[in-house]
Amino acid sequence: MDVRYDVAVIGTGPAGLSAAITLKIRNKNILLLGSKTGSSKVEKAHEIHNYLGLPAVTGEKLSGQFMEHLKQMEIPITEENITSVYAMGDYFALTTKTNRMYEASAVILGTGVNFGKPYQGEEQFLGSGVSYCATCDAPLYKGKTVAIIGDSPKEEAEAEFLAEIAGKVYYIPTYKGTINIKNNIQVVWDIPVGVQGEYQVEKLILKKQELEVDGVFILREAVSPASLVPGIKMDGNHVEVNRKMETNLKGCFACGDITGTPYQYIKAAGEGNVAAISAVEYLSKLN
Amino acid sequence: MVKKITGKEFEDTVKTGVSVVDFSAGWCGPCNMLAPVLEEVSQDLTDINFYNVDVDTETQLAVRFGISNIPALLIMKDGEKKEIQVGFQPKESLIEAFKKYID
Repeated sequence: MDVRYDVAVIGTGPAGLSAAITLKIRNKNILLLGSKTGSSKVEKAHEIHNYLGLPAVTGEKLSGQFMEHLKQMEIPITEENITSVYAMGDYFALTTKTNRMYEASAVILGTGVNFGKPYQGEEQFLGSGVSYCATCDAPLYKGKTVAIIGDSPKEEAEAEFLAEIAGKVYYIPTYKGTINIKNNIQVVWDIPVGVQGEYQVEKLILKKQELEVDGVFILREAVSPASLVPGIKMDGNHVEVNRKMETNLKGCFACGDITGTPYQYIKAAGEGNVAAISAVEYLSKLN
Repeated sequence: MVKKITGKEFEDTVKTGVSVVDFSAGWCGPCNMLAPVLEEVSQDLTDINFYNVDVDTETQLAVRFGISNIPALLIMKDGEKKEIQVGFQPKESLIEAFKKYID
């Protein structure tokens, strides 16, 4: 960990990119995290009719324009999968899937709404047998029976890691394809419904069967904002913000689809701009 | 200050007053992030005693309180379990969670 960035912007859709551009104009040291190709959602959009200045633009074209804008302003994108954002007081610590850590004085969330709906009982048992982090909690399941719900082949490595510690491991892939798993892991092709138990997780309910387990690890590609940023205040499925795009956590701002409907590109870009300016204001008071 | 205790010391330590016991381990990332924040909170809330328990060495104590995810903060009042809060939380949320036991 060498530098503390002024602002970490998470998300490379219109909201995050717009925030990054404004921050760059304001001469801030930024870390833009996301995908080097921007947002696949924008790229796949057929045609957009209400983006100012670009009538009837295809998603592919718009996305290309976004990337070109970034290139011109010399804003690099760092491809990292952020697993947690910790509010440490006067700064934020961001941890990645590869166990790297970044520090930033302020954070702008523009991660969109591509996280799935939680399973039945998932939130209720979070911390009582439901976990999102295999590397964090695995040692607590030494010799026990656990189930892992994996949303992508990347999670197979996590399953193998857990299998080294746990007594029995079930792996339930929610994607199609060949599973490359060694060890004593039982792959179960079924659809997860929910978790049940009295005080602790006792069962994972699947469409066709029930598994008796001590713990359930739910490993998703995108996590909900509440599990990404512990302590953040939600409004239903969205992050609660005010007109300045401030969340309940000082120095943490949100913009774009994550703050709620309407899910419009130009609204997201506008909110990114507001979030960036609010972050600049916050930084000036910090020093 | 957050004081490290063992399972043997536990009963006597939490017998009186309000105690917050942080169950954690060195290999757990969120635990390491929570530690400095909890330390700050302990300096603000001096009416509460703060302790740390290593789940690797004090497994029995962790099992007794059904700790299955860490970091877990066990709140005790006069030797009685009040609640367990799981996961990292920012300073303000921690203070809010603990304060109600000393008011």
